[in-house]
Amino acid sequence: MNWLWAVRDVLRHPVRSLLALVGIAVASALLLDMVLLSGGIERSFEKLLLSRGYQVRVSPKGTLPFDTEASFGDATTTLARIRATSGVVQAGPILGASLFARLPAGLTPLVAYGIDPTAQGIYVVEEGGDLAPNDSSHVLLGAPAAKRLHAGLGDTITLVGRLDPQIAAPAQSRLLVVRGIVHFLYDARDQPSIALSWSVVQSIQGHRATDRASVMLVRVADGADTGTVVRQLRHDFPALGINTVGDLVAKFRERLAYFRQLSLILGSIALVVTVLLVSTLLAITVNERLGEIATLRAIGVSRMAIVRQVVVQGMALVLPGGVLGIALGLITARWLDAILTSFPGLPAAISFFVAEPRQLAVAAVTLLLTGLGAGLLPAWQAANAPIAATLRSDAT
Amino acid sequence: MTVVLAARDLEKRYALQGQEVAALRGVTLEVRQGEYVAMVGPSGSGKSTLLTLLGGLDSPTAGEVTVLGTPLSTLGDRQLTRLRLERIGFVFQRFHLLSVLSARENVELPMAERGVGSAERRARADELLAYVGLAGRAHHRATQLSGGEMQRVAIARALANRPAIILADEPTGELDMATGKEILALFRRLHQDGTTLVVVTHDDQLAAEAGRVVRMLDGQITA
Repeated sequence: MNWLWAVRDVLRHPVRSLLALVGIAVASALLLDMVLLSGGIERSFEKLLLSRGYQVRVSPKGTLPFDTEASFGDATTTLARIRATSGVVQAGPILGASLFARLPAGLTPLVAYGIDPTAQGIYVVEEGGDLAPNDSSHVLLGAPAAKRLHAGLGDTITLVGRLDPQIAAPAQSRLLVVRGIVHFLYDARDQPSIALSWSVVQSIQGHRATDRASVMLVRVADGADTGTVVRQLRHDFPALGINTVGDLVAKFRERLAYFRQLSLILGSIALVVTVLLVSTLLAITVNERLGEIATLRAIGVSRMAIVRQVVVQGMALVLPGGVLGIALGLITARWLDAILTSFPGLPAAISFFVAEPRQLAVAAVTLLLTGLGAGLLPAWQAANAPIAATLRSDAT
Repeated sequence: MTVVLAARDLEKRYALQGQEVAALRGVTLEVRQGEYVAMVGPSGSGKSTLLTLLGGLDSPTAGEVTVLGTPLSTLGDRQLTRLRLERIGFVFQRFHLLSVLSARENVELPMAERGVGSAERRARADELLAYVGLAGRAHHRATQLSGGEMQRVAIARALANRPAIILADEPTGELDMATGKEILALFRRLHQDGTTLVVVTHDDQLAAEAGRVVRMLDGQITA
């Protein structure tokens, strides 16, 4: 009878209950979004880093991959030594560079990745084919670059290297045929990227890029211990930064500490708002019904039953409000995600709001406990109202 | 006849706007099984206060109330609540039905609290609604009933757990004369069926129906 009674009580004041439901739904949506935001980006980043199966990144010491334009030299020897390390099954170099495409209207800047197509973990081919090993005549375009260059499979593009500040003209140029359209995993939205053979990028960049790499991706063998491999690499290459996915996620987390603080503050506000909303509403309802409650106590209804009834009444608001809030939260999370991931420099594939069952469960349980907690004070007030005095004042 | 309700040297004092008010001053009363007692007196004479003390809704400043041989002062809140649930039925002037529940659900409430199964509850509620003449109104919400009907539902609710005593505070106070007479007839029938009744009233007709009239003035029983 508790639920029946509670639901009818909620329906007794439809406008008030509707407003309360909307309030709880909005607070719940905010709470859910903050729970998703608090750890979503880390999980998303970790998933992205592991998506191509490379567990370790080697980069110039003190930097994160592609965080700066830093690169390291003697890359061929380094690559060979890394590949020879026990437990390593694959390693591939990447050299990031700023190149230009020559168009009739002038030069268009591009982000170029020099890679070894047999050991790369930064793109997937969506159309056409991949580069052949040491392919010096083809290029792969990301969709934004293809759009910007108006180029498709089989088209020829002219790439030029750094502009020479002395003569304001490109130092090197190269004609390349588009072999494939690819999706770059770590690119920001609309970033015009291309991939070429490592040697081709070095060549276009001239002497400053000779035998250099920005990062090397390392894949550890199944069954081998990543920690052991990393310790060995750190020992062998003390001048380089050796980072596991966990290390990168930790550094990423440090940089995004403000997101955690933001989600904590906004999540706390959402909780407080929910508690205040439900408590206030129940306190009003309890005060309106003190006569009824005193009657119930008079006819032998226990204090516990009164507490249960008021709490159930709170839950009759919190549960539908929470369900609405979760739906609303998922919709707003998608919308906010689209805004946040369009920030420059962030991989578009990263998601700030990752809706996993665990996060949904955390939000739902938090909401449920909030609803229960919010109902307790009015419930205690109702259960402890003096029976005779309340009946007397209700009768006058 | 067994004494079902006894009050000995009851006193009740309230603090009202900084001054102590004596609502009851040394009241002693016994009610025997099957008796129909009417308590009459002017407003403020202490009759409703006495009723709340007899029903364990409040505690006296001094003195003792004994219900079916159990001194109420020896009971904790849980036991006292249980005693009210199982042995005492209350009827109030303003009915105090739960407006969101139907007549039947209101009557079922004390039984549900006692743990009676739903089928038995429903059967008993229907039987009681028929007893008070509301067989056809079981599904109506309290707000859809007239004052007299609401009071009859309240009486059915008071009878739900087959209490030893019914305590009624001004049961016709909110009703017109014709409807009051219906309630009067119902109380008469309850008495004839062996129910012990203690009724606080201003209604001379209701008092005249009672087997014994207790008159109160200034917190004391005068006759």
